[in-house]
Amino acid sequence: MRESRLMLVQYVTAVLAIMLVSIHLVMQGVIYPYATAISYGKILSIYQNGLYATFLEALLVVTLVHGFDGVRIILHEWRQTAPWSRWVDIGTILAIVISVSYGTRTVILAVFGVPA
Amino acid sequence: MTDVRLQVQRFDPLTDAKPRMVDYDIPKREGMTVLDALLYARDYLDHSIALRFSCRQASCGSCGMKINGRPRLACYTQVDELRSDKVVAQPMDNFAIIKDLVTDLESFFSKHRGIMPYVIRTDSAEVDHPSAEYLMKPEELERVLQFTYCIKCGLCTSSCPTVGTDSLFPGPQALAQAYRYLSDERDEGGKKRLEALDTAHGVWRCHFAGSCSAVCPKGVDPALGIQLLKRHVLGGKAPRAEGAAVWKGEAEPAKAQG
Repeated sequence: MRESRLMLVQYVTAVLAIMLVSIHLVMQGVIYPYATAISYGKILSIYQNGLYATFLEALLVVTLVHGFDGVRIILHEWRQTAPWSRWVDIGTILAIVISVSYGTRTVILAVFGVPA
Repeated sequence: MTDVRLQVQRFDPLTDAKPRMVDYDIPKREGMTVLDALLYARDYLDHSIALRFSCRQASCGSCGMKINGRPRLACYTQVDELRSDKVVAQPMDNFAIIKDLVTDLESFFSKHRGIMPYVIRTDSAEVDHPSAEYLMKPEELERVLQFTYCIKCGLCTSSCPTVGTDSLFPGPQALAQAYRYLSDERDEGGKKRLEALDTAHGVWRCHFAGSCSAVCPKGVDPALGIQLLKRHVLGGKAPRAEGAAVWKGEAEPAKAQG
């Protein structure tokens, strides 16, 4: 993928992250009192709301893509050899896929319940 | 006549392990530039000081160096304007040192060449035998004019934090020139240039520190050019299609000699 497309993704996810994180903080600190919001039971009940579960999944994807792409940019500037660049790109894709998969697993388990 | 203490960084990579600072006391006169002070030191105190200069009027860009910690042209910086009784002259950062204040500009000019700093046309027959004079409209000229003032002194590149870490980054000078030619209505080399710039070490590695624009002695704003170039690359203004119409001015009749 051309660097301009990756940077477009970086800019879009930056804007989305500001919006989603802001909503998340409002939900956790204002709508629900913080002490209540971090209790296990309350978290599970929030996840049961399909709309909020979707929101959390979007937050997960947006922040991870933005964060790991940012690290990719820093690593590209750190060293400039072709093998390094290739491994940085591969490592970034793997890091995003693994992190998003693990986070999505958590969301799914919270929504549908832990299998007995 | 008062003296000014001139401190010059001396370093010969062939013989010295590390740079050292050497002091020279220079009799100051009104209007004296740092280049004047350096030439005085070289002519009367130490013939071995190596420095590069030519025009002495901020046109050639040869005497770029770090003066009192800031990249400047030695010929364009008066000793008085530094408001200090000590003038410290060091070679530009981000360049290899050849000797003392002389830096190796090979990579700088190589990157400049890399962005193809000229108008590219695909109609070679028209290039060889133009049917008219290819003029720019005043508003088109206005868009690129400041970037044509670049004298390739390298001060912007020496102040760029990204150049300091990423050796493949073209640098503010080359990128600003890329914008200058990409936004020229007569140019048809858009795709070719974008291939070289839209990479992991290309235009996107500019983080807009803005130091390039702050140190330019000619008032060019490379940081602005780079941001406009990013917009251009993202499709804010597509490269001109091959063979697209340009404004051909009326060919002026040759003026009679004498």
